[in-house]
Amino acid sequence: MRPWLATALTACALIALWLWLTLSGVVSDLFLPPPGELWDALVDLVQNGYKSRSLWEHVADSLIRVIVGFGAGAAVGTLLGLAMGYFRTIDALAAPFVEFLRPLPQLAYLVLLIIWLGIGETSKITLLFLAALPVSAVAARDGVRNVSEARIRVAQSLGASEWQIFVHVVFPSALAEIFTGARLAVGIVYGTLIASEIIAGTSGIGWMILDAGRFLRSDYVFVGILIIGFMGIALDRLLLAVETRLVHWAGR
Amino acid sequence: MNEGNNMANILTTRRRLLKGAGLGAAVLAAPAIVRAAPAPVNFAFFVSTSPFMIAKGGGWIEEAAGAKVNWIEVGSGAEINTGMAAGSMDLGFGIGSSPTAAGISQAIGYEVVAMMDNIGPAEEMTVRKSANIKTPADFKGRNVAVPFGSTSHFRLLGFLKTNNLSQRDVNVLDLRGDAMMAAWTRGDIDAGYIWSPVKSKMLAAGGEVYKTYDTLEAAGYVIADLIIARTAYSTANPTAVAGILAAYGKALDAYTKSPDDASVIVGKQAGVSAEMAKADMAEYDFVPLKTQLASAWLGAPGVQGKFAGVLKGTADFLVEQKSIRAAPDVAAFAKAINTSYLAKAVG
Repeated sequence: MRPWLATALTACALIALWLWLTLSGVVSDLFLPPPGELWDALVDLVQNGYKSRSLWEHVADSLIRVIVGFGAGAAVGTLLGLAMGYFRTIDALAAPFVEFLRPLPQLAYLVLLIIWLGIGETSKITLLFLAALPVSAVAARDGVRNVSEARIRVAQSLGASEWQIFVHVVFPSALAEIFTGARLAVGIVYGTLIASEIIAGTSGIGWMILDAGRFLRSDYVFVGILIIGFMGIALDRLLLAVETRLVHWAGR
Repeated sequence: MNEGNNMANILTTRRRLLKGAGLGAAVLAAPAIVRAAPAPVNFAFFVSTSPFMIAKGGGWIEEAAGAKVNWIEVGSGAEINTGMAAGSMDLGFGIGSSPTAAGISQAIGYEVVAMMDNIGPAEEMTVRKSANIKTPADFKGRNVAVPFGSTSHFRLLGFLKTNNLSQRDVNVLDLRGDAMMAAWTRGDIDAGYIWSPVKSKMLAAGGEVYKTYDTLEAAGYVIADLIIARTAYSTANPTAVAGILAAYGKALDAYTKSPDDASVIVGKQAGVSAEMAKADMAEYDFVPLKTQLASAWLGAPGVQGKFAGVLKGTADFLVEQKSIRAAPDVAAFAKAINTSYLAKAVG
């Protein structure tokens, strides 16, 4: 079977099951809204927005948080990781913090961030920043460490300076792993988004889902999940496209 | 070969053992089935300064239910609605009138069996003294915090609406208790609409009361804390529900007779000082169970009390806010208020 056919089949089966469950009345609207209701909810959200903000404002607010938080976290994390990979001392200095932060659930320090940074955008974006940083750092460090000795020796024997080796040999070789780390980080940041929007939210898709869930508005919840899901896929594909352009040699 | 034989031996012995164990279990289980141990009751509650905590702490609820009680601590009425919808909660104690109105509108199968308190001034707006907020217009451009979906939220939105303020004029923020206190301390918010202990803490930290409740109550924005039961549970266990309500009535009497002694027990249960518990409880109007049967409140069994209209009004407002899709007519709310257990409890 062709792969696309298999994908289409699972999608169709899922939709058919959904239709059957909702239209036959086996499952109440509260648990699973029928497709018609979802469509109505989507149209309603597009036309009237959610709680005094348009749908686009909610989407834009979430996207800005993700992009700024991830961008800053990945940039700082990658720089730190490169330094950690290249200089043993920096690795020794930073590793304990990075290793501690990496597996830490973000919700654990959410309240602290509110106390330190307030309820505005700063605490939300910092939460996302802290989610992206350690993953990117570890990926970049491992990327640098995995550069083959032979390549560096060759560059050295050709008379390359330390800086030239770093820029022309080490960095490009680590790039593939840096991108893998970035894609991983986007996933984690995305997962943290809803947590970040718990704080004093009045905007954002994550907040919309939480708020609608509070009143068991499963139609809005489902629409929100679909939007957030497709946004996630789009972001991942975007990174993948950049990766294939920049690191076209990877895996060859 | 030898090894294989050994293996087979072990397997048969084990199978025999299992068979024996199965039989043993069946024998042991048989009397239990005959005795029909009652299923545990899933009881959702808030840790709060309420006389209910006396009944809980004293084990009176277990006694009245005649079964083991699974205590499920919740932080919001929304959690009770979700738990009830999922069928994993049987009773909900202290759920606010606005989540209840939402739940009834969405036909989650539960009924209001009694009331805990009329909230009155216990939930109120606290403003920062230095912010100099004196009139409704002074709220424009300010950050006002409230836990979304709560009775306080309903009141605050009512306050904005009756004063022709939009949610764009005033920056209404969704903050739970602890987070609100943190934001207040940092100076991120100028006002908060909430209940104690956060309310009293904010008042103590540079806040003052901005009175809204009297005009709002007159305008129909009445809020209360209720006791609900999953209909499937209450219809199957009417005696238990009546007994639990009677146990709560006993606790309420103990509080009315001696607020000081009650505050010590409640304070211990809720994790606050006896003085704080006493001050908090003094703000609530814990309506006596008998009084609740009057038409001014829930109404006697079969009689539509005033409260059906309150729930209907609340639900209509939630529809307007797009929190829920639609609200049924007042008869549906009257039907969802079942005081037959309450009548039995006080009778």
